[in-house]
Amino acid sequence: MFRNRREGLALALPAAIFSTLLFLVPVAILLSEAFRSDTGFSLQGYVDFFASPLNRSVFLRTLKLGVLVAGSAAIIGYAAAFCIVNLPGKARGTVFGMVVLPLMISPVARTYAWIVILGRTGIVNDAIVGLGLSASPIRLLFTETAVFLGLLQLFLPLMIISLVSAMENIPRDVIPAARVLGASWLNVFFKVILPLTKEGLVIGGTLVFTGALTAYITPAILGGSKVLMLETLLYQKVNVSNDFVSASVIAMILIAMSFAANLVLKRIATARS
Amino acid sequence: MRHFANWGILGLTLIFLIGPFVIIILAGASAGPNLAFPPEGLSLKWYAKVFTIESFRASFVLSMALAVFGTITALVLGIPAAYALNRYDLPGAETIRTIVAAPIIVPGIIVGLALLRYVVVPMNVTVTVALFMAHTALVLPYAVRVVSSSMHNLRADMEEAAVLLGCSRMQAFTKVVLPNIRGGVLAAFILGFVTSFNQVPVSLFLSGPGVRTLPIDMLAYMEITFDPSIAALSALLAFMSLAIVFVAERLLGFSRYV
Repeated sequence: MFRNRREGLALALPAAIFSTLLFLVPVAILLSEAFRSDTGFSLQGYVDFFASPLNRSVFLRTLKLGVLVAGSAAIIGYAAAFCIVNLPGKARGTVFGMVVLPLMISPVARTYAWIVILGRTGIVNDAIVGLGLSASPIRLLFTETAVFLGLLQLFLPLMIISLVSAMENIPRDVIPAARVLGASWLNVFFKVILPLTKEGLVIGGTLVFTGALTAYITPAILGGSKVLMLETLLYQKVNVSNDFVSASVIAMILIAMSFAANLVLKRIATARS
Repeated sequence: MRHFANWGILGLTLIFLIGPFVIIILAGASAGPNLAFPPEGLSLKWYAKVFTIESFRASFVLSMALAVFGTITALVLGIPAAYALNRYDLPGAETIRTIVAAPIIVPGIIVGLALLRYVVVPMNVTVTVALFMAHTALVLPYAVRVVSSSMHNLRADMEEAAVLLGCSRMQAFTKVVLPNIRGGVLAAFILGFVTSFNQVPVSLFLSGPGVRTLPIDMLAYMEITFDPSIAALSALLAFMSLAIVFVAERLLGFSRYV
């Protein structure tokens, strides 16, 4: 530890000032915009936003998809993480690497694959028509299912990573001990694994839920204007209707939802123990 | 039986995560004019065509430049900050940490819009400079965090010993600290580069006429054209990312730092 505080501040401040000027201040002004009116403080922007049925349905859809994606990621994530942790050393590293790799690849590329899979001439439709389940291709793109699949594929690795590192900390013989003492697998999961990995679940759940809420590319490519989410709605409000108050309201909602998700998950985690 | 179930679950998960890339690589290798899977015959013509599209070439260069220079700038700001946060007992260290980490927490689209409205437009900043500032701000949190964690493992008394033996403080930093955190700096650079290169929401509002990053250019292209070139380009980008990660892992065990 060095004592000279002035020297330390001189080293740390450029980064802090850069972040404050180019990030904190502009974002703070943007968020305050929805609370301002000609007469001073006002919540009219929020009232107007939620008065529109379209806005309400987009808000509810975003919430629903966020919860569904995070929930599905948790279920698949627990199964996958449990299998990964039980692999022998070398295979474990390889499989873990394969789970992490997609995170390094452009989300545009990752999302575009679903167009090839779900499009009119994609594999799924070829199979449906080929098997005679439908005479003509059915619409799979621009549906909530397509957005759901895209988001799940995008964010599942984050959940698996969080759960694997949480499970690595479970002492080796705890689970066999519970089994020997007569606990069913269901009991082992709820009474042993879940309480011991809840921090990983909170981190993974927050990352996946927040990621799904704030993803732009996936709803833009796979949902289009038929399946709007808050991010794509925000883009439309700014670029199509020049409605900056609504954009600011959406921004505030997105940030509030992210924080709320983290708080709720933490609360659930502490309530269980 | 247990093993069988284990591999079954893992197999399905990996197919879901990796399968789409296999499909996109093959769809890009189609000989036909339309995006389809299985492809209508195999050829590399769409992979070749990608390189002839003028706007992709321009936006690739822009994205590369933003990723390289934005990340270097973030490191120039971030390394001293990480050093100070680790080595000094700073007043308000927590506040500084929070401020620097904040751009990760706020959705990118909001950062981009806020920059556009309150910095770019009022100060009449050009599109390229605006994108550069945004990408630097985006990468800065990663730079500080990754460098911090590798600095954390380095004992401060090595530096003190260097100073006692006659190094100036600057020499102690360049001769003792920097060589020891080299791996962390490189890891931060790679993470920052990949994040910046792939990033869309922050640049969405900041891109101007003729000045677009590659992912945004791809989004615009796929709205009007439905041929396999985007699949081919996506596959090429995936290969590029994989190559970077693979080389990094081989050279310095990248995964230790992330």
